[in-house]
Amino acid sequence: MTQKLEPVPARLRLPAGLRRFDPAVATAFGCIVALLLVGSFYSRSFLSPEYLLQQFQVGAFLALVATGMMVVVLLGQIDLSVPWIVTVGGMMSTAAAGHGAAGAALAIPFGVLCGVGLGVVNGIGVAYLRVPSMIFTLGIDAVAQGLMVLRTGGSAPQDMATPLMGQLATGHAILGMPNAVWVWIAVGTATVILLGRTTFGRSVYAIGNRESAAYLSGVHTRRIVLLAFALSGGLSALAGTMLAGYSGKAYQGMGDGYLLPAIAAVVLGGTSILGGRGSYLGTTAGVILITLLQSILSVVQMPDAGRQVIYGAVILAMLLLYGRSSRVGG
Amino acid sequence: MTQGLVQGVPLFQMSGISKRYGGVRALDGVDLTVEAGRIHAVLGENGAGKSSLIKCMSGVVQPDSGTMALDGRPIRFPDPAAANAAGIVCIFQELSLVPDLSVADNVIIADPPRRFGLIDRRRQRQLAEEALARAGASDVHPMALVRDLPLSRRQLVEIAKALARRPRLLILDEATSALTARDVTTVLQVLKDLRASGMALVYISHRMGEIAELADDCSVFRNGRHVASFEAGTRSDAEIIEMMIGREYSHAYPPKPPPVPDDRAPVLEVRRLGWAPRLSDISFDLRPGEVLGLGGLDGQGQRELLLALFGVLRGTTGDVLVEGKPVTLSGPSEAKSTRQGIALIPEDRKTEGLMLPMSVGANLTFASLDRISKGGFIDRTAESAAIAAMVKLLAIKTASPDLPVGALSGGNQQKVVIAKWLMRQPRIVLLNDPTRGIDVGTKQEIYRLLRRLADEGAAVLLYSTDYAELIGCCDRVLVLYDGRVVRELRGAAITEEALVRGALNIDVATTQEEAAA
Repeated sequence: MTQKLEPVPARLRLPAGLRRFDPAVATAFGCIVALLLVGSFYSRSFLSPEYLLQQFQVGAFLALVATGMMVVVLLGQIDLSVPWIVTVGGMMSTAAAGHGAAGAALAIPFGVLCGVGLGVVNGIGVAYLRVPSMIFTLGIDAVAQGLMVLRTGGSAPQDMATPLMGQLATGHAILGMPNAVWVWIAVGTATVILLGRTTFGRSVYAIGNRESAAYLSGVHTRRIVLLAFALSGGLSALAGTMLAGYSGKAYQGMGDGYLLPAIAAVVLGGTSILGGRGSYLGTTAGVILITLLQSILSVVQMPDAGRQVIYGAVILAMLLLYGRSSRVGG
Repeated sequence: MTQGLVQGVPLFQMSGISKRYGGVRALDGVDLTVEAGRIHAVLGENGAGKSSLIKCMSGVVQPDSGTMALDGRPIRFPDPAAANAAGIVCIFQELSLVPDLSVADNVIIADPPRRFGLIDRRRQRQLAEEALARAGASDVHPMALVRDLPLSRRQLVEIAKALARRPRLLILDEATSALTARDVTTVLQVLKDLRASGMALVYISHRMGEIAELADDCSVFRNGRHVASFEAGTRSDAEIIEMMIGREYSHAYPPKPPPVPDDRAPVLEVRRLGWAPRLSDISFDLRPGEVLGLGGLDGQGQRELLLALFGVLRGTTGDVLVEGKPVTLSGPSEAKSTRQGIALIPEDRKTEGLMLPMSVGANLTFASLDRISKGGFIDRTAESAAIAAMVKLLAIKTASPDLPVGALSGGNQQKVVIAKWLMRQPRIVLLNDPTRGIDVGTKQEIYRLLRRLADEGAAVLLYSTDYAELIGCCDRVLVLYDGRVVRELRGAAITEEALVRGALNIDVATTQEEAAA
C-alpha cells in the first residue's frame, strides 16, 4: 500500500528545535532591536551595558509577574488580581520583618505564602466554583485591596524591608549582575522545565487547547488550574517582596503598574490569549520589550497619560496582527 | 404566493437533489413531492439523509445540484429566512428556544409587531396567544419564561413559534421525541387540524405508531437515496423496514470466534444503572474476550451509558462492579486508573479526543503521562519509545510524531485517539461511534483491532450508529430505547431486521428471536 500523506506546511518540516521558534517571538526580538536603535539616536547611553543591566533589573519584577500570568493565560484564563497580590506580598513581608529576628528571616517566605493563599482562592473560584476568571480574580483583587487598607489604615505601613529583601532587589552578589536578574533567571529556568518537561506543563497546554479532551483523558483538570493560579499568586507576591526591598518599604498601590504590562508582555511574546500556545522565550522577549518601551518613553519625557495610550495601542496592534496569522490547521 | 391552489400542481416539489459534505454523499439525486392538505411521513435509518433533506427544504443548506419548485415555479432558498418568507417553516429536533426570554418573545422572535420602531408588546402577546391556541398549548402563559416550562410544553411552544410564521408547509423533525404520551395525543390532534386547514406537513418520526395514525403519504430513504414513495397503509411494517435497511453489506469484518461461555467471570457488571431521566434500570455483564454492541436509534441513552461507565456523569444510581468488586467512578482519572482499567474512545475526536494543535506524540501519551514520568517529570526516552510503538502498532500515517495532530487525515486522527488509550492496555474499552466520518480502509483496520483486543482478553463495549457494523463486529448487542435495554441479541440473531425492530421497539417477536432468547 502506498503511503498517502497530507501535505505538510514548510515550517513544520524544520527540525523540532527550529520549528519551536515562533514568528511572534522573532517579531518581539526584532522590536527590541529596533527600540534600542531608535533609543541610540537619542542618546549613546542606550547601548551601554550599564543601562541594559539596569533595565534588566527593573524588568525582573515584571518578569516574575508575567511568568505567573503566562501560565494562567496558557490555560485560557486570566489573573486580574495581580496588582494587589503584589502589594500583599510587599506589605506582608515587611509586616513579618517587624517581628524580630525570626520574623525577618521568614519575611520573604511569609509574603510569598500569602500570595499563594490568594492564588489558591482564585483557583478554587475558577476551577471548582466555575466562576469566569475575569470576574473572580477581579473580585479577589478588590478583597486584597480592602484587607490591606484595613490593616494599614490606608497609609504606608511603617515596617521596613529586611536587608535580605533589599539585597535581592538591588544587590550585585555574583559576577556584577543584579541579584534581581539572577532571581529572574532562576524562575525562568524553572518555568521552562516546568512547562516543557513535566506532566503539569503538558497538562497546562492540553487544557488550554481543549479542556474537555484533557478531562476525558483522565487528567485532574481542576487541580491543574488551581495550581496554576497558586503559582501566579506566589510569583506576584515574590515580585512584591522584592519591590518592597527595592524601595525599602511597602506602600499602597505598589502593584498598580504591573497588570497591563504583564498581560502585554505575555501577549507580545506570542502566547495565545485563548490559551494552549506560547513559549517562555516569547514572554521573556515581551518583558524586555515592555521594559525598554517604558524606559524610552520616560527618558523622552512622555507624560504618563501618553505612555498609557502607547501601551494600549501597541497591545491592540499586536493582537490584531496575531489574530490574522494564528490560523492553526484543524 | 397568495394565490389559491393551482389544480394538479403539487405545493412543493424537489427533483434530483444532491448534497455532499466533504467526501460524504448525504443526498444522491433525491425526489420528493409534497401536496397541500396532506401529511407526508419521511422514514429512514440514522444517516439515511432525512436531516440533509429537510435542511435543503428549509434553506439551512443549499443543494449541490437539483431543483426545487413551489406551486410549480422554480425556487431557491439562499438562507432559512427566504424559506420562511416562501411559507416553509421547519421545527428541528434540537429545541431552538431562548430559555431566558418569555414564551411570547420566543414565539414572535422572527418578526415582532412594531409601533413607532419599538416592539408592540400588547399586540405581540395577542399574536402569541393565537399561535399557542393553534398549537394546542393555550394553557401556557405567554409571559412565562421558557426556562420554567417542562420539556413537553417547550415542544408545544416550538410548534406555536413555527405557526406564528404562517407556514404553508410545516416540517417536523422528531417533534414528539421529547413528549409524554398525553402530549403526543395533543400534538397529533393539532397536526390533523392543521392538515384540515389545508397546510402541508412533512413529518419525520421513528415511531411507527404515530406514522400509521397520521400519514397520508410515506417516503423511505436509505443511504442518501430515495427508495420509494407510496400512500400510507399500502405497505406493511415489515415491508417498510425492509426498504429502510436494504440488503447492502459493504464492509469486510474479521471472523468471529466461538461465543464466550456464560460462566466466564465478567470483568464489568452493571446493575440497575440509572441517570434520570436519560437512563433507567440498565443491567448487563461484559466478559473478557467479548465485543458487546449497543444498538438502537441515535440518542436513546447509549452515549450517556458510556459516559456513566467512565465516571463522567454525576448522580447516577445503581451499581457498577469491576471484577466483582463494587466501584465508585468519581471521574475519568479514577476510571482509567490501573485498578479499574477502563478506557473511553469519545464521540467527537476534534473536541473530546484530541488537542488538535498539539503534536501527534503529545496527544498519544497524554492519557498515559503517569506511566512515563517520575515525580512529575516526563521521561523523554520512555515517551519517544511509547510513541514509536503506538505509531507502528496502529500504522498511523504521519511524517513525524512532532506534527500537529490536526494535520493528519480524519482516519489517522481517529487512530491516534484509539492508540492513546491502547497505550494504557485497558481491560474494558468503551467506544462511542468510533468509525463515524472516516474512510472505509481505516474502518476495517479498526474492526480488526477491536477483535484483536478482545482476543487478547479485553472486554469491548461498542456503540455504533451503523447497524451493519454492530452485526459485523459484535458477539452480542443490547438494543436501547428511551434509556432502557429493550432487547438483547446474540450471535446469528443479530440481524438488521431484529436491530431495527428493537430500535423502533416493535413488540413483534419472530420465532428466530424467541429461539435466541
